[in-house]
Amino acid sequence: MILQTIGAFLAVISFSLILELPKKHLLLAGGIGAASWLSYLLVVAAVDSVTTAAFISSLLVALSSHLSARIFKVPVTVFLVAGILPSVPGASIYRCVSYMIQNNTDLSSQYFVETLQISGAIAMAIFITDSLFRLIQKK
Amino acid sequence: MNDKLLVETAVLAGEIMLISGAEIYRVENTIDHMLRKAGRETAEAIVFSTGIFASLNDSTIEAITVARRVTIRSTNLYRIYLVNDISRRFCEEQITVYEAYEKLKEIKNIVQYHRRVKDIGVMGVAVFFTLLLGGSAKDCLAAAVTGAVLAGAMEVSAKIRLNDFCANGFCAFLLAFITLLIGKWVIPGINSDMIIIGAIMPLVPGVIFTTAIRDTLNGDYASGAARILEAAVIALSIAVGVGAAMGLFQWGIGGRLI
Repeated sequence: MILQTIGAFLAVISFSLILELPKKHLLLAGGIGAASWLSYLLVVAAVDSVTTAAFISSLLVALSSHLSARIFKVPVTVFLVAGILPSVPGASIYRCVSYMIQNNTDLSSQYFVETLQISGAIAMAIFITDSLFRLIQKK
Repeated sequence: MNDKLLVETAVLAGEIMLISGAEIYRVENTIDHMLRKAGRETAEAIVFSTGIFASLNDSTIEAITVARRVTIRSTNLYRIYLVNDISRRFCEEQITVYEAYEKLKEIKNIVQYHRRVKDIGVMGVAVFFTLLLGGSAKDCLAAAVTGAVLAGAMEVSAKIRLNDFCANGFCAFLLAFITLLIGKWVIPGINSDMIIIGAIMPLVPGVIFTTAIRDTLNGDYASGAARILEAAVIALSIAVGVGAAMGLFQWGIGGRLI
């Protein structure tokens, strides 16, 4: 699990190079990504549901991105898009196609639904955090 | 204050942000804040995912309206970050409109990392996502090769100006096929599933999807829907590419073509 978290840290930093994330925030973005993946793994181990795991880890990313953005006075996008990446359902899309090729329609549609569920969970997490911070900002 | 230059500066700031993949409300906000510095009666900005309109009007001047069509779309967080900084400093009156305009013109083409560094980034994503998914050292080694192929494929498709759908499909096809080849003949016993999932990550539209959600929440339904559709089309093209490679491979080693 530690090895996977280190993997997440380095993966998010590598991705940040493609997205041109500002140099001085690279480490923090990587840290957010690693924390999110660690929480994902812990939730999967605890309740065995990838949708819940995606929701909780995205919530963590969105919260810490909003906080970091306010502390360093940079747009939220800078931390959010990089940190959210490990939770993105690339694996579900792949398995959906893979089973389709093997003519296994049942498993294929199961993973298609899982893709939609995970996307929805990530969307909900971002929705909730954005709304929350907007409430605080108004006061 | 020179109104015309101010409008030009504000629209340039918005244009850079929009091209770099900022959320619509942030672009509108930035232009709005800058225009308000003129102290005119009406200062409006309307932003779509494909263009910008900005207008400044008052009874004492002739209305100044600028329209700008934006065709390119990419993700460049560094430029968003810099423009945000310039607009903040301009609104706090730390810099003049002339300085802001000159600085924005520099930002428009600024690049932080060289192409080769980005290629290493693509390889890094493939390798470390494989590690993240629980891959072994052998898997990571194979992922490095696949990542290098993907980086090459992305550069080639950018050079021949392939459209997005074909480019993503082509890249996904190539990376899946190479991984399956490696798994069959070069390093047997690798988790080709894991490696393909890791390697498609640079193509998967996670960034567009995130921005789409935030646009929709902010009430910018037109751009939100456009970006969600964009993400869906990219996901589809990746699926087609990977699927074609798997089908072809199966058939090649004596299986059935789907």
